[in-house]
Amino acid sequence: MKQMIAATRRDPVLMGLWLSLLVFALIWFAPFVFIVFTSLKSSPEIMTSGAFTPPGALVTQNYATAWNRGGFDHAFFNSVFVTVIKVPLGLMIAALSAYALARMKNRWNKLVLLFIVFGTMIPFQVMLAPLFTLVNSLGLVDTYLGLILPYLAFGIPYQIFILHSFFKSVPKELSEAALIDGASHFTTFRRIFLPITLPVMAALLILDFVATWNEFAMALVILQDADKWTLPLGLMSFQGQFSNEYGQLNAAIVMTVLPAVLVYLIFQRYFVSGLTSGAVKG
Amino acid sequence: MTRLFDRMANAPWLFLAPALAVYAVFAIWPMIDVTLVSFQRWNGIDPTRDFVGLANYTYIFTQDPVFWTAFRNTLIWTALSLVFPPLAGLLLALALNQPLFGRATLRAVFYLPVIIAPIAVATMWRWMYDPFFGLFAQLLTNLGIGIPDFLGDPDLALYSVFIAYFWQQVGFSMVLFLAGLQSVDASLVEASQIDGAGRWNRFKHVTLPAITPTMTIVLVLSLIQSLKAFDIVYGLTGGGPSQSTQMLALWAFSQSMQVFDFGRGGAISVVLLVITVGVVIPYLRWSQRREEQLK
Repeated sequence: MKQMIAATRRDPVLMGLWLSLLVFALIWFAPFVFIVFTSLKSSPEIMTSGAFTPPGALVTQNYATAWNRGGFDHAFFNSVFVTVIKVPLGLMIAALSAYALARMKNRWNKLVLLFIVFGTMIPFQVMLAPLFTLVNSLGLVDTYLGLILPYLAFGIPYQIFILHSFFKSVPKELSEAALIDGASHFTTFRRIFLPITLPVMAALLILDFVATWNEFAMALVILQDADKWTLPLGLMSFQGQFSNEYGQLNAAIVMTVLPAVLVYLIFQRYFVSGLTSGAVKG
Repeated sequence: MTRLFDRMANAPWLFLAPALAVYAVFAIWPMIDVTLVSFQRWNGIDPTRDFVGLANYTYIFTQDPVFWTAFRNTLIWTALSLVFPPLAGLLLALALNQPLFGRATLRAVFYLPVIIAPIAVATMWRWMYDPFFGLFAQLLTNLGIGIPDFLGDPDLALYSVFIAYFWQQVGFSMVLFLAGLQSVDASLVEASQIDGAGRWNRFKHVTLPAITPTMTIVLVLSLIQSLKAFDIVYGLTGGGPSQSTQMLALWAFSQSMQVFDFGRGGAISVVLLVITVGVVIPYLRWSQRREEQLK
């Protein structure tokens, strides 16, 4: 750290660079400050005080009111429920497949992998209507299962892709010894591969948590009943109904965004490794 | 019984089955179905779907007044997404790769918007663009400048939406470039320093060649991301005012799910799918060849 400060001071170009970066970072961060400040102000205060004036008396009531009016108790529960089931389940079945593709004899492996990697690039936003048709024909509209299944389908490809390349890089000696000793592939997978994959799994888990938590378009077509809505749908509908209740609207934004922000701040280093291990080094 | 279990514990297709099944049914089948329905007439409710040949395509290409607007907007949007977020991301990555004080915090600030739900970004920016009490209205009033109607002016709306998208996307490109920069050979950088190469030459001859593969990846991912733009447009403008921010993904959605013309909606989806696959297949072949070279 000291070296960094010294290096910055010594070099005028670095010093200028640092100052301009600081300005940009402040601009990038400003919307968050504005939203949080607004969420703690009363309506008259919002209309009279400056955008970056800290709130006078903290109006925490905005949060309670928004929570009740927006039905956020349901939405919060639905989001948590769907995320808690979907994320670990998806990662498990992705890991099983990735293991089979990397370590088990099957002459179709290459083709299957290609078929799956293709899916990492296909935008589901293009297929919202046929997704609805499918889920509807299975009688799963407005059910958790009806949302979880498509979420799994569009989350799995990237995870298989990453885990496959990781499993490929594990030294052969490690697994072959176990297989020769008579352990099955399933045992080898569970006892040897899963434990050493934990860091990669953690990265994928967190990325997938945020993606699932934030998903809007699929939920929009599959969940019609307001009681089944997840947080993004709840926020959207709140904006539609109470767009003039600025304080409450901003409180609703903060409540929707906060869990993902906290997860990011706590697990920051996993994020970057999860995002880049596939794309750049791959 | 134990022998059966042993056989199961070693059967590759059993390991693959859960993931493949859910992927085939919920990701691949809708893609096939949307292609089928694009040749049919269907309102989403009737038990029968009539085959109508290319009628839906002729309609969207020749009679649909909005299709070409949406197409044009998608092109503008994609072009903007290919230039600005990657360029800004590259500059940020280059800067934040220097030994600067507090660079971890600075990186975190630029990456923070990436993890926020696009629909929340839309809600945030709608409030910031609010013509009466929004952030920009206040700042511009303080500067004594008239307030443009960011989201209400058809000439401006698309760019206003893009600015929100830009704010969110920059961190994504930045992180990819930062990872790519780690592959720059430090000894080459040092050697060029000793040889007296300036910053620009060092960038041009050492850094740039090393991050060219990363650049391809960032551009392809940016392109795919931009074709997917749905949440942010839906939340900020819903395609308006007077279709000035309408885009193909959103238009396909509204044709099917709001007008209940699944055939026409399907045809629009297929156009977008063909464009996407046209980019994805060459990219996959490129990355496969690259991987084999690395081995």
